[in-house]
Amino acid sequence: MIRRAWLVLVTLLLFSCALALITAQFRSRSLFVDLESAQQEARQLDVDYDRLKIDLARLSQPASVERAAQKLGFRAPDAAQTVYLNLPQSSAASPVAPGSKR
Amino acid sequence: MKTSQSRKSVRGARKDRGDRVGFNANPLLTVAIPAWRSKLLLFVLFVSFVALGGRAFYLMGGVTTAFLQRQGEARYARTLEVPATRGRVTDRNGIVLASSVPARAVWAIPDDVEATSAQVVEIARLLNVNVGELKRRLANDDRSFVYLRRQVDVEVVERIDELKIPGIHASREFKRYYPEGMNSAHVVGFTNVEDRGQEGVELAFERELAGRAGSRRVIKDRLGRIVEDDWLREPVDGRDVALSIDSRVQYIAFSALKGAVEKHRAKAGAAIVVDVRTGEVLALANWPSYDPNVRGRLSGDAIRNRVLTDTFEPGSTMKPFSVATALEAGKVRPDTRIQTAPGRMTIGDRTIGDAHAHGVLTVEEVVAKSSNVGTAKIALELPAQALWEAYTAFGFGQAPRIGFPGAVAGRLRPAKTWRPIEQATISYGHGVSVTLAQMARAYTVFARDGEMVSLTLTKSDSSTPAVRVLSADTARAMRRMLEMAVGDEGTAPAARIAGYRVAGKTGTAQKLKNGQYVKEYVASFVGFAPVSDPRVVIAVMVDEPGTDVYYGGQVAAPVFAQIAGATLRTLQVAPDGPLETPKALVALRQAP
Repeated sequence: MIRRAWLVLVTLLLFSCALALITAQFRSRSLFVDLESAQQEARQLDVDYDRLKIDLARLSQPASVERAAQKLGFRAPDAAQTVYLNLPQSSAASPVAPGSKR
Repeated sequence: MKTSQSRKSVRGARKDRGDRVGFNANPLLTVAIPAWRSKLLLFVLFVSFVALGGRAFYLMGGVTTAFLQRQGEARYARTLEVPATRGRVTDRNGIVLASSVPARAVWAIPDDVEATSAQVVEIARLLNVNVGELKRRLANDDRSFVYLRRQVDVEVVERIDELKIPGIHASREFKRYYPEGMNSAHVVGFTNVEDRGQEGVELAFERELAGRAGSRRVIKDRLGRIVEDDWLREPVDGRDVALSIDSRVQYIAFSALKGAVEKHRAKAGAAIVVDVRTGEVLALANWPSYDPNVRGRLSGDAIRNRVLTDTFEPGSTMKPFSVATALEAGKVRPDTRIQTAPGRMTIGDRTIGDAHAHGVLTVEEVVAKSSNVGTAKIALELPAQALWEAYTAFGFGQAPRIGFPGAVAGRLRPAKTWRPIEQATISYGHGVSVTLAQMARAYTVFARDGEMVSLTLTKSDSSTPAVRVLSADTARAMRRMLEMAVGDEGTAPAARIAGYRVAGKTGTAQKLKNGQYVKEYVASFVGFAPVSDPRVVIAVMVDEPGTDVYYGGQVAAPVFAQIAGATLRTLQVAPDGPLETPKALVALRQAP
């Protein structure tokens, strides 16, 4: 009698393990599909970023900026029109480079 | 199952007829069956099972296992190529000069293509190709594979896919974009359709820029989604290369050069801007140029990088090196007086001359007024070997280690072969050939108190090691002379700019064609600014000005002035000179 109960128990255990394995496998696969599509999206965003960088470089070309400025009637200041400020010695020693964050 | 059904139907049929036969009374049961029949059946079943077992064993463990496994995997597993992206080329401030984005190559199997005429027209429109050409390619039945167009944008291919025409396919590739176009074409170079470097930095840094494609084994489900994977080889993207080029300075140099070449109807021109402190090349411009985005119409003439791969006889820009060598050797002092009258000098059977006769000049004035006779007299004071060694130390006759494809050494013959006339002409830049990059590098000696830096095309954070060539005193004396050369009495007042003190030397060299000097010239100017603390060396060369104006001081010096003024402002260098543009200069610039 006890032996039969054991058998049933073990059989049930076996079946639940088998089902759990299937579920786990299924879940892992569907998660992998999600991961894959997220990675695909990341790649696409990288490509878009590259493309935008190219567009930025193209649009910020000095040539096109100059054309636009000319259309607006802008002129580059010559040396005589420029006001030069003498900074205190410490900061004059390390002038702010254009584009650097300070 | 089938038998029980048929039995049921038999029973039903009998029921209908009302003819009931009990199971016990089945007449079949009364038939006597010989015992061997059931044994035979059993035996046949047994043999069948053994055969099945044997077959299974054979398939699982036999010789054909690998084949079967491959066949099985082919149903669900795929090996995917994972492309690697080529590295970006950027300027020193991170502005993109070259970058790759995915594209598609559209190809067809002509035999498989079934498209209506309207569809072909639509494809031709989308691919931007000639309809007739497209039809001809699709009609080409001899070939099983034809490219319809390469480097097509991904969006365009999606639209073609929507047409769902059999036999037309697309495969992945990359398209390289050069947003700066012509401006920096000669530095950056270009790639071919296979994304391999062909010219310029793209070729020189091929190993860094090129990625290595990877591959992975994936398992796909019924819907074609990837559910498991295994990397066979990870892809390695190419590394980005940051150049020393500053795209703003590059534009300044390029547009100034282009303007000058067009104004003087010259054959070509080249310019280079070098950071004196680091040896970084801030700009390297050439005209004629080409657009690397449109690779169909590349001519050899436009591709030539005249700064690094073309040599020319430098003419008078060579003089400061001869004079500096004499100063360094103690043969002359800056105020030593030299008789240059009557502006001609005969050495052996040849006579050399000055453009204008000057009379007695100091060594300083010899440089400022660019006297051939004066320079030759100074150079002849020195042994040929000493001069040769000095020129070699300045880098002439040696290929620069700049890592650029096709950079050449120029030609400086060994001193043993020099006759006196040659020693004289070489001292003022004839009978010797150099590249513009060599000239610019050699002038860093004067700009840096006697040290020479190596040029580099990549952004360098550390200071480049410099080699001492001259004493600091000699270099300072040369700076003074070179500043005099752009003075009112010098050969190049047009090189001056408002706000900064500049120094430099003009060169006007007759060209040698088939061993004869012809009436065609190379006008050049090499200089640096600001003189009080030099930041940039700029060398400009204009090849064969087509008008009557061909002197370096008239053709190349204004280009130098334009580049120097705008560059120093862009680099935010503090001015060290008078801010007003000299009146004489205004008149000079306005003169045709």
